Parts: sequence; structure tokens; C-alpha cells
Amino acid sequence: MEKTGAEILLQTLEEEGVEIIFGYPGANTLPVNDGLLTNPIRHYLMRHEQAAAHAADGYARVTGKVGVCLSTSGPGATNLVTGIATAFMDSTPLIALTGQVPTSFLGSDAFQETDVIGITMPITKHSFLVRNEKDMRSTIKQAFELAKSGRPGPVLVDLPKDVLAAKCRDREERDIRPPMKQNNGIKKDHEQLEKIAMALNRAERPVIIIGGGVKLGNACIEMTELVEKGQIPFVSTMMGIGSVHTSNGYNLGFIGTHGFEAANRITHQSDFILAAGTRFSDRSTSDVDEFAPLATIAQIDIDPTSIGKNIKTDIPLIGEIREILTNLLPLVKKKSRTAWLNRIHTEKQNLEREIPFNGCGQPGRFIGMVQEAMPEATTAVTDVGLNQIWTVRSWKTRIPRGLVTSGGLGTMGFSLPAAIGAKTGTPDREVVAFAGDGGFYMNIQELATINYYKIPVKIVVFNNGHLGMLRQMQDLFYGSRFSNIELGNGVDMVAVARGFGISADRISVEKPEAGIEQMSKTDGPYLLEVMVDPEDYVFPIIPPGRSNMEMIYGKPE
Amino acid sequence: MNGEKHIISILVSNKPGVLSRVSGVFGRLGYNIKSLCVAETADPEISRITLVSRANFDFTEKTKKQLDKLVDVIEVTELMSSESIERELVLIGINMDEEQKPEITRAIDMFGCSIIFMKSNYCILEVVGDKDKTETVINYLKPLGIKEINRTGIIAL
Repeated sequence: MEKTGAEILLQTLEEEGVEIIFGYPGANTLPVNDGLLTNPIRHYLMRHEQAAAHAADGYARVTGKVGVCLSTSGPGATNLVTGIATAFMDSTPLIALTGQVPTSFLGSDAFQETDVIGITMPITKHSFLVRNEKDMRSTIKQAFELAKSGRPGPVLVDLPKDVLAAKCRDREERDIRPPMKQNNGIKKDHEQLEKIAMALNRAERPVIIIGGGVKLGNACIEMTELVEKGQIPFVSTMMGIGSVHTSNGYNLGFIGTHGFEAANRITHQSDFILAAGTRFSDRSTSDVDEFAPLATIAQIDIDPTSIGKNIKTDIPLIGEIREILTNLLPLVKKKSRTAWLNRIHTEKQNLEREIPFNGCGQPGRFIGMVQEAMPEATTAVTDVGLNQIWTVRSWKTRIPRGLVTSGGLGTMGFSLPAAIGAKTGTPDREVVAFAGDGGFYMNIQELATINYYKIPVKIVVFNNGHLGMLRQMQDLFYGSRFSNIELGNGVDMVAVARGFGISADRISVEKPEAGIEQMSKTDGPYLLEVMVDPEDYVFPIIPPGRSNMEMIYGKPE
Repeated sequence: MNGEKHIISILVSNKPGVLSRVSGVFGRLGYNIKSLCVAETADPEISRITLVSRANFDFTEKTKKQLDKLVDVIEVTELMSSESIERELVLIGINMDEEQKPEITRAIDMFGCSIIFMKSNYCILEVVGDKDKTETVINYLKPLGIKEINRTGIIAL
């Protein structure tokens, strides 16, 4: 039987379990769009390619499956770039399919031609240009394998139009050569595992740092067992939040610039750190020279480049986190470290007393109320800025993969499209997007997508008329010289939402009850504009260049 | 860039675009490539990239890990001078008038180079050897007025 390259592509996607694609067509993807008419895969037509990438990213984060986005060549492909970089930094398995000019035009500056493989080289795990329809199936299969395996990440497949349109017989299809790697850097190292167990058992003041890799490696259950068996206090990075139930008694919160002071202080005082699935990004460690100076550091990661990238580690171990934790569990002894746990308890209590709502003030209280009003199975998706810190500090992650945030790249405009992906990926869960006015404006066009497909996401926009986090930084560290951060309050956001066909209301953060109730009982999409004082900041915070021990609670004198 | 000299040998898939991925790693980490040589191996699907870069000690560890991560990279090894054989071929274009003839002839004898081209009083010398040897020849000939020079970069096994 004869099939076009596009048909082979779609069939292969189906075989890989793809149910949904987020995309935006163009002249060079038309063979694919045509093929979608007779294929069960659903295509969500977004209103911007960047949103398509974020939606696929959000979809992948909540489902654990590979997200797929599709754009045309040229501007379509370049619009994906921010979304691909976001997925790359947070290790989301993503396939970016880009239309391309026909092979005979490659390199001729043809209409809507751009070297998207060249542009995305540093932000993809790998990329393919399919030069022949006969290679389509094996290329797509390899792309999926690469996106999922090891440390997951985005893989781009560039699809010239003539290859999509060309016909090919089944028996003409051929295999492209799989990677010829000798090894992937992973070797079972039992000796190293025993060293970690020994150091952990010996430690008087151990702490576990949970990174995003624990979730990505599906090792949440094993991690919970380890924490409980060894009675080991744990902190997480922002990406690691929720890997172990937030309400777990050994949880100290997340570390870093915007983290919990107790988490930072305890980590600093520890004598042993077991870091799992984290690269020790600068947002987590602050000044690396001052980071946990007394601790022996063991680091487990599937990606050899993450080991020792930012912090020198004493006992590195490369491999699958779940497998390592499973093997580590029987070696870990139950040990009562009463002194350490008491010290943590006291410190935590003292700190908590001082700051109501986790330092998030009224918005923190509000987020807690939203969570109580929504069902337990609700996913929170954040944007970037104060709204993100308020949410990750206040939202209690009670369900697996229940918090979605752009941690590594910090992409404003992420929340709205990512919430679309999250809702379509897990339709039986509720999804609330928390955005600031700044980030909301960046992908505001997706309200049209939400309306068109009637995607029942709840959208909370904290409106303080400013880029709040930058306002806080200028206020604190630039002598209150405010520059280029005022967005103003001239936009009637409720009218805008209604104009897009979405029910909306405006409330003040102090009196949110009626608004929250209305939002939680509305079946369809709903937007709640929450008026916030521009001086509602987030404290404590670590000034740039300082250590995790130097959190401040207000303007420096 | 300061630091020690490192010779890195990288086996890669013999495909378009692979070299730019490999060189991209060096560029992103801020390491300058001093010399670079790419050629097919006995297996036509595999190429060997031999490159020389100067950097501090954590260079090899970091770059090796990043290179290993590339899908098209099959194997990365650092070649230690003590455990490998290195060679470079240098072509040196030089004027050979009567006065200089004895000096150049002496160089040819002393270093075992050969004249591979000659026209009136211009000749091209071919020098093959390790870094020490090629550098010595170049330094010896420099005062005589080298007109052109081209080198293959180091290859090593």
C-alpha cells in the first residue's frame, strides 16, 4: 500500500500512543493537517505556536507521556523556540514537529525557510531533518525514544513539505541507524551505593534534597519510603515540590532564593546531603561557596553532566533514580536522630510563627482558600514572578504531578497554555492557572483557544498593575528607583475575558470568598481577576549574590 | 587561552551536521579549538575528529560529559602524549635564493623534511612529525623568511 510521508508520520505518532497534538498549521504542514482529517489524533489549534509548545509541555508534565507540538516552517518554528527551551530546562519529554520548505529549496532562503535545527541545537536533546519519506517511521520512533529515555527532553523533527507529500510503499520504508553509543555513562556501581548508604547511616544531621528528577524518574514512592524508613528530613528544589507529599512530617519545604528559611538553614547545618535528581541550580544554592559547608554530598542523577556541574560532590552515582533508591532502601538503617529532629522542630516553629501565610501575605491566604474550595484532584499551574512564588509556597501538592511550573527557564506566559495542556491531558482533574498580569498578557490570545474548545480551566490573574517581582527587587536592591515595571490598571480584564467568551469576575484579594465560590462552582472556564497591592511582596528572600543563610524579611537598611 | 594542551579524539557518526554539534559544545563552554582534523575511519559510517584545545584541568571532564551526551558521538577519549602517537603535517613555502640554500639544505638533512615543490627560487617543504618537531623546524626556518604556512592539525592514535 502507498502512503504519504505525512500519513506515515501520523500513523507512527499513533503507534507511540499520541492522542493529542497542539499546533498551528502553515503552508508547509498542510499534508499533515490533511492527514489529521482521517486520523484519530486530536489536534488543538492554538492561537500562537509558543502556546502550542507550552501546552504540549504542560500535557507531558501532568501525564508523564511525551507531549507533541506541531508548527510550520520559518516563523512558526521560531515561535516554538521559547517553549522548547522551557521544556529543555525542566527536562520535559517533548516532540517538536516543524514543517520545512521542500528539500530542493533548503538553504535557498525560500519563503518561510529558517534553519530551525541550527537555532534549536543548544536547547534540544537532539534533532532530525527527515530527508526521505522512507526514513519517516524510524526517525519518529527514534525521536520518541530519545525524548523519553535518560534525562528526558525535547527532540525536534524537521519535516520538509515534499517529504510529507511524497508517496512511499510499506516495503520501501527503511530503518535509520540507531545511535552507535558504546554506553550511556551508566554502569551499576554497587560500591558507590554502599558508600552512600554508609555515609547516610553514619550521618548525625542528614538531609535529602529532592529535585525534579525524582518525579521524572517516577521514584516518588521509593523516595517517600526512604524518608520514612531512615527518618530523614527532606527539602526539595522548586521542581521537586510534591514528589513526596507536602504534608509529610519530614518536609522542610523548598530551598533557595525564594525558598523556606527553615529548609535553607537546616540544609546549611547538615553534615550529609543526599541529592537526588537535581543539578544544584543557582536558584537553589545561592552562593555556592557558602552552600552546606559542613556536609558530605552524595548526588544521584541519570545525567552525568548534572553531576558536579555546579557543586562539587563527594559521592556521585549515575543511574535511574528509582532503581538506585530501591537498592538503597534495604541498606538504610532506621536511626533515631532525636537531637537533629528536635533542633529542626524548634527552628521550624520559631520561623513559622514569624511569618503568616508562608510569607506570601494576602495572596498566600487567597491561594490556600482556592485550594480548599477546589476538589483534591486539582492541578495548579503557575506563571513566573511573584504569582509563582506565592503559589509554590502556598499550594499543598496532594496529588502526583499536581504542580506545574516553569522552574529552570522561568518563562512568563507559560501558565495559560500549560494549563490547556494539563487539562486536556488529565480531563478528570481540575486545573487552576495562577498568573500575574504581566505573564497573563504574554499569551492572552489563548483565551480564544480555551473558549473555542470549551476547555474548563480556572484562571486566576493577580493584578497589581506591575511586574511585581521586579518591583520588589527595585524596591529592595535599587533604592526604590522603579523603572519600566508599571503595567498600569487601564485594562478591564474582566471585559477582555468576557469578550473572549469566558465568564469572569473581579475581586480584591482581601475579600475573595464570593469570587472563589463562583469560580469553583462554574462548570466551564472561568477567569478571576484578583486585585493585589503592588507592595504585596514575598518574604523572606535572598539578595543576589548572598548565601542561603542570608534571607531577609524586608527592605535592607 | 591559557592552560594545558589537550588532544581529544572523538568517534562520531559520519553524517551532515555532526561537526557543528561537536564544535558547538566547545564554543558554549568557552574553549577555543586550536586545531581540528576530521576524517572517515576504516568504517565509512564512522568519522574520527581529532582536536586540540588548551584549557584548565576540569576541561576534559566537563567537555567529555557534554560530548558524550550528543547522540551522534560514539566515543570520546583524551589522548595523553605519553600514551599516544601524534603527527602533524606542515607545508612551508619559503624563498630559496643562493644565500639561503645552505641553511635550508641543512634543515632538510637535519629534520628529514622534503622539498615537494620548486619553482625558480621558491620551494615548498613538507614536514611530518609531532608537535615538538614541527615547531622546531618552523622556528629554525622563520628567520629565513617563511612566505606561507599551512598545517593539518594534529592527528593521533
